[in-house]
Amino acid sequence: MRVMYTPVRNRPGDLGGKPLELTGWRRIDPNVTMLGLTSMFTDLASEMVTSILPLYLTLTFGFSLVQFGAFDGLYQGMAALTGLWAALFADRRRRYKEVAVAGYGLSAVSRLGLILARSWAPVVGLLYVDRLGKGVRTAPRDALISLSSTRARLAESFGLHRAMDTAGAVAGPIVASLLLSQNPTGYRSVFVCSFFASCIGLGVLVFFVQNRRGEPDPGAESSTRVSIRTALALLADRRFTAVLAVAVVLGLVVPGDSLIYLTYAKQTDLAPGFFPLLFAGASIGFLLLAVPLGRLADRVGRARVFVAGQVMLFGVFALLGAGLGGLAPLLLMLLLYGGFYAATDGIIAAMASSVLPRHLRTTGLAILGTSVAVAHLLSAIGWGAIWQVWGIDAATRAFMAGLLVSIVVGIVLLRPGGHTTSSAEPASAGRP
Amino acid sequence: MSRWRIIGFALLCVVCIGGALAYVATASDPSDKAAGVSTGNDSPTVVASDEQVRTMLTAPHVVYRDTDVGSAFGKVAIVGLDDLGSPAITDLSCERVDYSAGRGICLTADRGAVTTYGATIFDQDMHTVTTMDLPGLPSRTRVSADGKHAAMTTFVFGDSYAATTFSTRTQLLDLATGASLGDLEQFTASKDGETIDSVDRNYWGVTFGPGELFYATLSTGGHRYLVKGDLETRTVEVVTDDVECPSLSPDGTRIAFKKRHTGPLGQIEWQLSVLDLKTLEVHPLAETTSVDDQAEWLDDDTVLYGLPRGDVSSPTNDVWSVPADGSGAPVLLLPGAWSPSVGQR
Repeated sequence: MRVMYTPVRNRPGDLGGKPLELTGWRRIDPNVTMLGLTSMFTDLASEMVTSILPLYLTLTFGFSLVQFGAFDGLYQGMAALTGLWAALFADRRRRYKEVAVAGYGLSAVSRLGLILARSWAPVVGLLYVDRLGKGVRTAPRDALISLSSTRARLAESFGLHRAMDTAGAVAGPIVASLLLSQNPTGYRSVFVCSFFASCIGLGVLVFFVQNRRGEPDPGAESSTRVSIRTALALLADRRFTAVLAVAVVLGLVVPGDSLIYLTYAKQTDLAPGFFPLLFAGASIGFLLLAVPLGRLADRVGRARVFVAGQVMLFGVFALLGAGLGGLAPLLLMLLLYGGFYAATDGIIAAMASSVLPRHLRTTGLAILGTSVAVAHLLSAIGWGAIWQVWGIDAATRAFMAGLLVSIVVGIVLLRPGGHTTSSAEPASAGRP
Repeated sequence: MSRWRIIGFALLCVVCIGGALAYVATASDPSDKAAGVSTGNDSPTVVASDEQVRTMLTAPHVVYRDTDVGSAFGKVAIVGLDDLGSPAITDLSCERVDYSAGRGICLTADRGAVTTYGATIFDQDMHTVTTMDLPGLPSRTRVSADGKHAAMTTFVFGDSYAATTFSTRTQLLDLATGASLGDLEQFTASKDGETIDSVDRNYWGVTFGPGELFYATLSTGGHRYLVKGDLETRTVEVVTDDVECPSLSPDGTRIAFKKRHTGPLGQIEWQLSVLDLKTLEVHPLAETTSVDDQAEWLDDDTVLYGLPRGDVSSPTNDVWSVPADGSGAPVLLLPGAWSPSVGQR
């Protein structure tokens, strides 16, 4: 897998954990690159397993897919609650790295369990352990990225991380199918390779990522206590709630990859076997555009790029509504969809990080992540319901209308000159 | 980055990459597999001749998918009912197979960067007549007793990244011409004389009766109905509720099926059961393990079904038999077999 972006490393002196002068241009903190590598290996490991699961569970194990979804909602809710609690703990002790290690570690352990599992019940349990790990690690990792970046490079840092993360996600299914083409019944080989890949990811995190316990925001000494009460007080912070509102409103009109591809397949008679290729196509778009759009966002304003991303999604819906088959519209759609992710996913994290006080950054990011996840769930249900009752065209039209609302909300709440778009002050002035 | 960190990470990488490579190398080395099982390319399985195939198919037999790990894995095998110990292996590789009266159907999975699925219609020599693409994971297939019609059920995913979203698609075929008879969702469905037109209709597990008659499961609004269908009028009508994967007995009086219930961990399980079509009475069979399969009738008194052989990493299944009246106990009939299809009873 090609790493799309290599930061220039012409830093003076040794790297022995000492503070670095961030004077160079195009400098991305090595912490961000290392977190990107961690995510790349972890996503590689995770998508290797995910991509073969339906085949594994049904064809070789006689497992019905219905069973898989039986308690899904409950477990997801538990994972979200645990994630919020872990984020609060990370903020209170400023142990972002340790909590992230716990999250990535849970996922690695679940892979080891998959290798050893002898019946289906532990397999399902282990899949939820993996999900729990994801719920725990995401917010402290993003907090660490933001605490390792200057405000002027925040969106670019998130872009680099997301690009590396996506590279792993694209490579995972490819590696898995290569392993299976060697040995059609070798599911355990996939689990073994997945376990070792997640160990390498965990190793990068443990050995090379430094915890950053940024100093409290200047003039905020009296209010740096971390508790459920101060966390809830975030919801009264206008700057944070603006980002939260924009992210949730957008989340409500993003029905999810599977429904977008399913709609495309219905409209154009594409065999569902090609869904992984659609996923890969959009991911490559995301991967290529994440850093450039992040850098653009740092220069011209994150809100502008964020709104442009929604316009790209509008283009995706328009193409879906037109139901055009053929290669050119498909490639355009995948490029727009990848661009939409590149212009929104890391950018939302950057916008939120730039308005969240440092002592509550993990908690704030966890609140944001959980809220967006709930919005996505509602959105998927809504799309499915409209599809069933009024048909597929109604679903795309309704979501196009919703997206227009989301664009207006974005423009109003993230007005240029507002706090969220400022790139003047550093996100982590005080370095360890 | 201090030196010990780099050394530590390098060691970790050596262990991880070495471990992964070592495992993959030994796992794909045939000599590592269970002794006594024919494995690898060194000892190719002897494929039955056309004549052998034809002879076996005209005597009482079971056609099934071989699931013993080895070079015959996934191949279709035939075994005489009078000599269950000596199967003949054929050239066909299938996930699911059924055969009757000179026509058979084989659902295939071609694993690659994009795994594609297909169906092969074959003749009395197990030679391919025609092939077609399938929209998703093969699940069930049945050929009518007269060899004229076939049905295929596949799982269609939203995508492989959201394993919880899927639906089923059931297609019907005219085996004489290879022409499609369409999707069951295009048939007119009714319950107590009223048309069911909700869009959440999902069909699976077709079983054929004589002529144009068939039965199947229709899932809609949280119910899983047994429906009775007519290929001529393209209609289906609800018979009763809570019947999945029906299988009509040879005498046409009963349906073997899997009855859904919830297990101790909240998981869905199925009790193998038989429904009397006249009285609509249901009784469970002696198998207590959850059965996720479309049963097959060995004769009017005995039901066959497949079960995984315990270990989740093992792709091996076994075919078991159990009395259809609920008495007795399960008996292992064909070890290392799946998707049994009984002929010339």
